[in-house]
Amino acid sequence: MFIGFLKDVFLEKADAVAIIWHGRPYQYAWLSNALEYWVGRLTSAGICSGDVVLLQGDFTPNSVAVLLALVEKGCIAVPLSAERVHERETLSSIAMANWTIAIDEEDSVSINQRQAQSSHELYELLRQKGHPGIVFFTSGSTGVSKGVVHDLARLLAKYHARRHDLRTLAFLLFDHIGGFDTLLYVLSNGSTLVVPEFRLPGPVCQAIAQHQVQVLPVSPSFLNLMLLSEAHAEFDLRSLRYITYGAEVMPASTLRKCAAVFPGVTLLQKYGATEIGTMRSKSEKQDSLWVKIGGEGYAWRVVDGMLQIKCDSAMVGYLNAPSPFTSDGWFITGDVVEQNGESLRILGRKSDIINVGGQKVYPAEVEEVICELDGVADATVYGEKNQLLGNIVCAKIRLARPEPAEQFSRRLRAHCKGRLDKYKVPLRVTLSDDLQFDARSKKMRRNLAEGAGVKNAQGAV
Amino acid sequence: MLVNSAMRDRVIKVIYSALDEINSEKGSEGKLIESEETSLMGPASSLDSFELVGLVLSLESKIAEEFGVAITLADEKAMSQRSSPFRTVATMADYIMHVIEECNRG
Repeated sequence: MFIGFLKDVFLEKADAVAIIWHGRPYQYAWLSNALEYWVGRLTSAGICSGDVVLLQGDFTPNSVAVLLALVEKGCIAVPLSAERVHERETLSSIAMANWTIAIDEEDSVSINQRQAQSSHELYELLRQKGHPGIVFFTSGSTGVSKGVVHDLARLLAKYHARRHDLRTLAFLLFDHIGGFDTLLYVLSNGSTLVVPEFRLPGPVCQAIAQHQVQVLPVSPSFLNLMLLSEAHAEFDLRSLRYITYGAEVMPASTLRKCAAVFPGVTLLQKYGATEIGTMRSKSEKQDSLWVKIGGEGYAWRVVDGMLQIKCDSAMVGYLNAPSPFTSDGWFITGDVVEQNGESLRILGRKSDIINVGGQKVYPAEVEEVICELDGVADATVYGEKNQLLGNIVCAKIRLARPEPAEQFSRRLRAHCKGRLDKYKVPLRVTLSDDLQFDARSKKMRRNLAEGAGVKNAQGAV
Repeated sequence: MLVNSAMRDRVIKVIYSALDEINSEKGSEGKLIESEETSLMGPASSLDSFELVGLVLSLESKIAEEFGVAITLADEKAMSQRSSPFRTVATMADYIMHVIEECNRG
């Protein structure tokens, strides 16, 4: 009912390839049949309209078909990618999921009921309207993930209009709104989604060459890594027409290098947030950081140097956090921007979030893990600019008793392993006797980060 | 020339000691061999991007200890080279030599 517009495309493009996964093509006819099969299968399992279903998977053919089947049935889907599987219980609880569907690397599907009362006011709102929903997770300043509830009837509306049919790489994750945007863009235009074996420079370039990919949506840091690895030189990437990037501020050097390495490719900055979806944007020039953002249903304004956005496809609300909207309905992005007429330049996040290769790191979460370690009195985690990863996580630590720096660093790394994702583990650790609070008992992250910037600037001279 | 080659040996030693540290935390697989040909990045390397950054930071502090100069290896200049100076132990050593030299020249 909600994906009628997609079903029309599937019929029309029956012989075209919808997904290439593990090098194998799956046609729209297959997807159409799979969708019908999964609608029946989910119904016979007892899954009803309005149920909250955690969907653990990646862009495997069945993951895509099951996701669409959940939408068709009017369920509330909660996608979860392998990268966040270790948080499954926490996220399931926040989402109050009453079903779990797990799709493994072989694309086998298992369906399990989960004990939960999924009676949240936002869910009730969707149920009253009979609309399907989707929940994405972002993170709060304390490190607790926020559940972002979207009304899919609204979010899907922008895919009704047909646009370009371009083969696109599934780089952004299955449980990321950018990944969802990639998928819907591809399916609504009857194009092909190419799933790489791994999200690493080599496999990504190989997939582009092998399957004649035309659009590569990435993060600036991944582009940087790719250029650095020179994987692009090993493959014929002449099929590429667009590289879209978002999720973090693009270093000017990466943009310049990218424009030089891919002369025929158009670089497009996208702007998006989990709460509002992905907006179309237009770079002023090929290698410019100034963009015009917007598109149908989107409006923006700058208040106190920060970007605010109003749009039709905004989320219904957070499951577990206060509303980030102004009283007149504008979403406060938290991004600091420069404005020049109709153009914007995004400078970065207002808060202390450290963006490592497009992945967000919340200092509080890392500090918490460090402070579990025996002998640690206090820890302040902050970011430092890094040419390879965008930023790296640094920690200034006060020890309760003296210990050689190298020995401590080794102990810290061993402790963090398994407790933190790799990108969250501090790469630079300094020991200090200083107190790490300012007069208002706030961590002096910003001072440390600024100090790091100065040090680097001097070092580079 | 002699001075240069002795200096290069010292730089190589510093790199090997940084590799030793990384190896001590790696499992039996993926240990880095002490050789000038050893790849530090790209498909042939067993270092991931975080380990590479860790190595670069560790080299910066080891160089400061050994030679008494504060250098930055991963900067705009390194990134804008046509081929990355971090490819192998040998190219890394050459680049470190170059950066130290520039640093000493002021």
